[in-house]
Amino acid sequence: MSEPAIDRAPTFEAADDLDAINRLYREKRWSDGLPIVPPTAARVERMLAHSCRGRHEVVANVAPGFGAATVERIAVNAVMAGCDPEYLPVLIAATEAVADPEFNLQGIQATTNPVAVWLVLNGPVSKQLQVNATFNCIGQGSWANATLGRAMRLILQNIGGAQTGEMDRATQGQPGKFTFCCAENEESHPWQPLHVERGFAATDSTVTVVGAEGTMNMNTHAKHADELARVIAETMVHPTSNEYVHGGEPWFIVGSEHAEIFRREGWDKARVKRELWERSKMAVKHLSAKEIDRARASRTPELGELGDDTLLPISPAPDDIQLIVAGGPGTHSVYVPCFGNSRAVMRRIES
Amino acid sequence: MTVCSTAFQTLGRAQARALGNSALPIAVIPHPFGGRSREEVRKLAEQCVEDIVKLLAGGKT
Repeated sequence: MSEPAIDRAPTFEAADDLDAINRLYREKRWSDGLPIVPPTAARVERMLAHSCRGRHEVVANVAPGFGAATVERIAVNAVMAGCDPEYLPVLIAATEAVADPEFNLQGIQATTNPVAVWLVLNGPVSKQLQVNATFNCIGQGSWANATLGRAMRLILQNIGGAQTGEMDRATQGQPGKFTFCCAENEESHPWQPLHVERGFAATDSTVTVVGAEGTMNMNTHAKHADELARVIAETMVHPTSNEYVHGGEPWFIVGSEHAEIFRREGWDKARVKRELWERSKMAVKHLSAKEIDRARASRTPELGELGDDTLLPISPAPDDIQLIVAGGPGTHSVYVPCFGNSRAVMRRIES
Repeated sequence: MTVCSTAFQTLGRAQARALGNSALPIAVIPHPFGGRSREEVRKLAEQCVEDIVKLLAGGKT
């Protein structure tokens, strides 16, 4: 029996002229604004050889356009982004993850908020694919990080239909919407890595998708856990945060030097989460009047009546705060405020 | 039938097409309205109700 035509990625003939192909992709708005690698049949075939799933199998329907993300269409976008063929299973798992209702992809894709989709890799896959977890891990310079994050964006745009100014309504957006991907540094880690914390084996490879509003660097030479937790918590407090309004899921990329301070003083991950959660509570009165109305609509069932002096926790519970360890040497950690109406989703990467 | 502001009309129309209902009637209100007074919002709401009634009757706004 033949496959239904709807599941086939369309093909067309083009001259072997990179400039002309890029002009076409620019005119059709199939690119993210940067030149692409032409997804020729041969390149797509090489990519498909790295998945045991059928090329026309629908991995997910991607909001807000609900395009069918077949394995083949994911591969086409991965080629365009410059991915090595071995990266395909990561993108299949990530596409499944973004479509999980917990992630709220409809909201993330169509909102005015600058939210980007951040990919976090754990397990052996990071070394196998050389996904950077150390120096400049969310910056430039690592092929896997750059192209995996870019491929995710192209999937969201081309399969999900979130074109700038049409269904993607971001007021300004952010640079992370071009690409945003790193691995966790599991070798320089005082605690369990993220995937083990969430019930996977250390030998499993996983990808986690996070609705990340941006990155806020935190440079502190604090020497003790108590002081470090205090300054991080005070950085979290900001009255224009979606997280305080809705009860969010803030993320942190803890630098290895800061992680070492917590380890030295015996603070486990649960302790760090609890201390940050307690110390980052913000009085309702710091919000604007309109945000107080929004917070009441979102959080009254969780917190009861909200008065001016009610202390709002950033998330419903301490365990909603998410910590990974990554980055090179230095006194920096990163606060990644999140969209609020979203929860990160982790999927195992099947090779 | 759905209601959206002018800034989101493109999204509403594209989403309706994506979901297979390109003829979905959409009542459109001016954007932005967050900073408007209660009285101004009331006027917009009254106009919007009239638009909804027209759209449900098969007309255009």
